[in-house]
Amino acid sequence: MGWNGLKAEGPVELNLDMVRGDETPAEIIQLAYGMEQSLGFFYRTVRTRTQDNELARLLEMLITVEDKHKQYLLELYKSLEPSGISPENFEADVSSKVMEGGFDSDEFIKQNEKFLNDVPSLLDLSMMLETQALDLYLRFADKSENQQTKDVLHRIGDEEKGHLAALGALRDKKS
Amino acid sequence: MVLETLKKLFTPVEALDADQARAYIAEHKEGSFTLLDVRQPGEYEQAHIPGAKLIPIAQLPNRMEELDPDKPVIAY
Repeated sequence: MGWNGLKAEGPVELNLDMVRGDETPAEIIQLAYGMEQSLGFFYRTVRTRTQDNELARLLEMLITVEDKHKQYLLELYKSLEPSGISPENFEADVSSKVMEGGFDSDEFIKQNEKFLNDVPSLLDLSMMLETQALDLYLRFADKSENQQTKDVLHRIGDEEKGHLAALGALRDKKS
Repeated sequence: MVLETLKKLFTPVEALDADQARAYIAEHKEGSFTLLDVRQPGEYEQAHIPGAKLIPIAQLPNRMEELDPDKPVIAY
C-alpha cells in the first residue's frame, strides 16, 4: 500500500465482539472510558518503573492526555444523560481490564517490554495503540445500529485523531 | 436503481495522491466521509487506514447499499 500515513493492523472482526451493535451512546461512552482508564493505568505502571527523566516526562504527559480523554468522555456522557448517574457511579460501572485498541493491559506490558525503555520506542508504541484505538472505535461505529451511538463514536474518533497528530509531531522531533 | 446509486457514489471521481488523502482525512470530521478499502481481506489485515471499510472489489456490486451515497468516498 503506497500510504505514508497511519496504519492499523488486523482483520475487520478484531475485537468487534466487545460490542453487540445495539449499544446506547451512554453504554459506548462507558466502554471507551474503561479503555482510556486502562491505558492510563498502563502508562502509570510503566512510569513507576522508570528512572529515566525524559521517559518519565513523556509518560506523565501521556497520563495527562488519557485523563483529559476521560474528562471529555465524562462531559459527553453528562451532556447525553443530564439526569444520569453520578461520576462516581459511572466510574464504578466501568470495566477497565481492556486498554484502548482492545489490548489486555497485563499481557500488553509483558509482550512489549523492549519498547518501554526509551522515548522514541515508547512514542512508537503509543502511536500504534492510539491508531488501533481509532480503528476500533470506527469499526464499532460501522457495526452500530444506533445513529446517535455512531455519532458519539465518530466524535471519540476525532479526539483520537487529534491526539495522534500531537504524538506524530512529537515523534518527528525525536527522529 | 443500482446504476443510479453507483452514479451518485462515484460521480465526480477525483484522484487523490497519498498526501492529499492524508490531509483530507486529517481535516474532515469522522463520519462525514467513507474510507473504502477494495483490496483483499489479507491485505487489509496486514495494514489498512484506520476506519477503512473493507469491501473487496469483486463484492462491491452486491454491497453498494452499505455505502452512504450522500458522503464522499475515498477508495483505495
